[in-house]
Amino acid sequence: MTKILTKHFDEPKLHELETYRRLGGYEGLKKALSMERPAVLEEVKKSNLRGLGGAGFPTAFKWSTVPPEDKVPGPRYVVVNADESEPGCYKDRVLLTRAPHQLLEGLLIASYVIGAKDSFIFIRGEYQIQYEILEKAVAEAKGAGLLGDVNLHLMRGAGAYISGLDTALLETMEGKKAWPRQPPPFPTVAGLMGKPTVVNNVETLSMLPFIAREGGEAFAKIGSAKNGGTVLFSVSGHVEKEGVYEVPMGTKLRDVLALAGGVKGGKKLKCVIPGGTSMPPLLEKDLDVCLDFDAIRAAGTFLGAGGMIVLDETADAVEVAHNIERFLAHESCGQCTPCREGANWSERILERILEGKGQAGDAENLARVGENITGKVICALGDTVGMVTRAYISKFPDDFRKRAANHG
Amino acid sequence: MKAFTDEQERVLIDWTKKYPYPNLGLIEALRAVQGWHRMVTPEAAARVAEIFSLPFNHVWGVATFFPTFTRWKTGEKRVGVCHGLSCWMKGSDKAEKRLEKTLGVPKKQATPDGKLSWETMECLGACEQAPALLVNDRLVGPATEDAISKLKP
Amino acid sequence: MGKTVKYKLNGVEREAEEGKLVIEAAKDAGVEIPHYCYHPVLGNPGNCRMCIVEVAGAPKPQISCRTGVREGLDVKTDSDAAKRAQASALELHLVNHPLDCPVCDQSGECGLQDYYMKIGQYQSAVREDKEHKGKRIAAGPHIMLDQERCVLCTRCTRFVDNVTKTHELGIFGMGHSEKIDVTPGMTLDNAYSGNVADICPVGALTDRDFRYKVRVWYLDMTDSICPGCARGCNISVHTNTARPWHNDGKRVARLKPRVNMDVNGHWICDDGRYGFGNLDSDRLGKVLRLKPRKLEMAWFDMASELAPILKEGGLAVVASGMLSNEDWAAYKTLFDELRVEGHYFTAEPDQLGEEDALLRRREKVPNLTGAPGLKSGSFDELAKSLEAGKIKTLYVIERDLSKVWGDKAASLLAKANVSILQGPNKYSIGDAFTYRLPATAYVEEDGHFTNFEGKVGAYKKALAPIGDARPDWAIFDLLRKALA
Repeated sequence: MTKILTKHFDEPKLHELETYRRLGGYEGLKKALSMERPAVLEEVKKSNLRGLGGAGFPTAFKWSTVPPEDKVPGPRYVVVNADESEPGCYKDRVLLTRAPHQLLEGLLIASYVIGAKDSFIFIRGEYQIQYEILEKAVAEAKGAGLLGDVNLHLMRGAGAYISGLDTALLETMEGKKAWPRQPPPFPTVAGLMGKPTVVNNVETLSMLPFIAREGGEAFAKIGSAKNGGTVLFSVSGHVEKEGVYEVPMGTKLRDVLALAGGVKGGKKLKCVIPGGTSMPPLLEKDLDVCLDFDAIRAAGTFLGAGGMIVLDETADAVEVAHNIERFLAHESCGQCTPCREGANWSERILERILEGKGQAGDAENLARVGENITGKVICALGDTVGMVTRAYISKFPDDFRKRAANHG
Repeated sequence: MKAFTDEQERVLIDWTKKYPYPNLGLIEALRAVQGWHRMVTPEAAARVAEIFSLPFNHVWGVATFFPTFTRWKTGEKRVGVCHGLSCWMKGSDKAEKRLEKTLGVPKKQATPDGKLSWETMECLGACEQAPALLVNDRLVGPATEDAISKLKP
Repeated sequence: MGKTVKYKLNGVEREAEEGKLVIEAAKDAGVEIPHYCYHPVLGNPGNCRMCIVEVAGAPKPQISCRTGVREGLDVKTDSDAAKRAQASALELHLVNHPLDCPVCDQSGECGLQDYYMKIGQYQSAVREDKEHKGKRIAAGPHIMLDQERCVLCTRCTRFVDNVTKTHELGIFGMGHSEKIDVTPGMTLDNAYSGNVADICPVGALTDRDFRYKVRVWYLDMTDSICPGCARGCNISVHTNTARPWHNDGKRVARLKPRVNMDVNGHWICDDGRYGFGNLDSDRLGKVLRLKPRKLEMAWFDMASELAPILKEGGLAVVASGMLSNEDWAAYKTLFDELRVEGHYFTAEPDQLGEEDALLRRREKVPNLTGAPGLKSGSFDELAKSLEAGKIKTLYVIERDLSKVWGDKAASLLAKANVSILQGPNKYSIGDAFTYRLPATAYVEEDGHFTNFEGKVGAYKKALAPIGDARPDWAIFDLLRKALA
């Protein structure tokens, strides 16, 4: 199967500049720098590269919304979102550990197109090992004169999941609470310190060296319609072989599951969370769904950030929903009321059910509360609060009914 | 009493100069404080506010918002065990009990010698090493009995 | 001004300035959309999600405090979907609210109560215990904080951050554990702290001096002007006459700011807000001759007795910027007919105080500007004249001489043959006068003050006068008639 990001992962010293360059590293940057900026943007557009941090927003389109220098003079920034914190997601950690230069090269290409002279990598604080790898890589690249006139800044987070949301990330960087902003204006118009800012995920930017080197069409060809290239899935849970798998966009869920060796111990599949715990789960009957941003929507869920969690038949939907709601309630930033109160309330209802104190109507009430949150909050975290409970209640009504029946 | 040594003050001032805007260094500065004091006290945050020329309620708001910063004193080794879904499925509850037993203290409380403390953490981005164990922001692999027993000096 | 566009509000075509927030345009059109966090001068963080409305064509409901009016916009604030969204936001605000209305001073003017009556679902679905936070936290000298009642709208923190820039309150913690609290090491004691009780849409921040005093629905509200300084802040006087046994028997329960963007905006200072103790204590109510023996007199008899004394000459008049425009006019008419050695009304240290860039003025009287073409002599000169025996009659209007001259005041007063105190209050020196003429306080009369910028503000009568008290202008009129 075609691989882009993980192609050379069997090289033990891929994280070092020398190895990376030997394998063609920084050729993409060289090529990009030899082109006019709009020509590079055009290649990215042709590539159908989508934001792999979860939103799936066309990368070239995001970039093209940065106002041109003659209209809005002054600095503009590129920020790498390396605040991977969604339960189930660890592909960015692997990319940072194994291929830091691939990210730096992508970041430099993006900085060239955007016209950024200061670019940032915001990495979660718990990735100290990866932070140090990046530090070393930046020093190497700088020493080799690869950075040109771009200042690369590293910055660590402080343990808040919500910092991974682009506008909350910018707030965190500015030394504020990670309270999401409410666009408009979008970051590309007014981002870091009010300046035009492109925020892209680690995986997204890591794709750029290939696109610059091989051309946008070559990348687009690998994926499915409007979903160019490959995508990484970090698989965990009840599977034989946990790990990061790179597959072309549009690969069937069944095939990714097979790569991971299938459900552990030959047990029956209960469900697969495709992109991190905020995404509604898919069932056995959905195994033929194609994994790209558009096709998966038809199955009622999202690609997310490729954090695939496989649950076997022993899993209990109430327990799973409780674990996820507890996480969301803990990570709710507290800015807007429906999420702050609703996530906590949902968690406590589920907790009560788990304690054997369920009452008739609990599931209906939970679903109702969820509906009252989703779509009525500031950011996507709040939306998922309601989405998760409703998904588990509707997909596994028996798990909820069973507990209600036990306790009248 | 001064919140910081002269050397620490210099480090904090450096964080105001590291990025294109001074306030961009605030989170890193507070991380440094957490590292030195193993907590962030109002007194320390107030001094940071002065150094960054920010209102104290702003800095204290930030210090109380982010989970990395604590109002209780962590151990020199701050241990976290993940209870995200994948880790919970692989026994993070058991790992917590094991930690409590091995370290002899409940969560969010340092051992009497101040060497160790443990707490549950949200997804650490290591779902394939479930239940993931973190020591001073460094992932150390699954929280096995062996890994936990190695935490003690 | 942006251009005017046509939009639809609840099916009715209306016009508004392009870009105007829907919540504001709707208010102009007489439609109130529920809200907590939005405040016309403190901004629209959009965190309370109460002002959620239905916008045709939008994939999900929108908050009207962050939606601008545009040509062809079709907004529904009262559709089933909008009302359901508002009701659900309110339900979530109430999940952990203690529902302690019976012991909450905010009852009767509470955003939670009001919207509950309007859009509430009346049937609680909460089976969980309430979560507890801090109660009865004395945030400062004037304000009590109850964190359980707080809806975290951030109005108060925006006030201390952006208006007073004093930063005594903050939101600390994260997510569900976050709460408004006093910034460690600080107290909420800025000169405008009382405003946080006004802008708090719920019972989280309440006035300590109003605590458990009287239910707000027993209060009458009268438009007025704060007499506390030359700014002339527009206020509302809240009086309690329906239940005189409440509020410790005091008639005035509290003063609240009234919005006037030309004068005081939305705010008043704490000095003005809490400095109304003299309205219900230390009051004059009787027309009295105190010397040689105390004698209660009728107004007519008093005027007849004073007329020849005033005409005799050697008259000095002490007044102050406490007088209304009407008082000043009558004052001028009266004293123009008399030979007066001097008028003395400038603000001396007794009527001077702190000022700042926000509202507070140095002159702690409301109406020095209204004094019509009169020149004031200096109080030092007056003291000298008294010492020298040049003043036979000293006529003091609404002024506490013990605060002008200190300990010397009584002996200076004794130098005049006759001394008259006219005003609402007796002050510590009140027994040293020959005559006492009770005047109404500003809450007991209609009138106007002209502030330091020349802006005229009207205040209305909120209470009946005490005893025989009359407005100063009426006393001046009476005396003028007696002279003739």
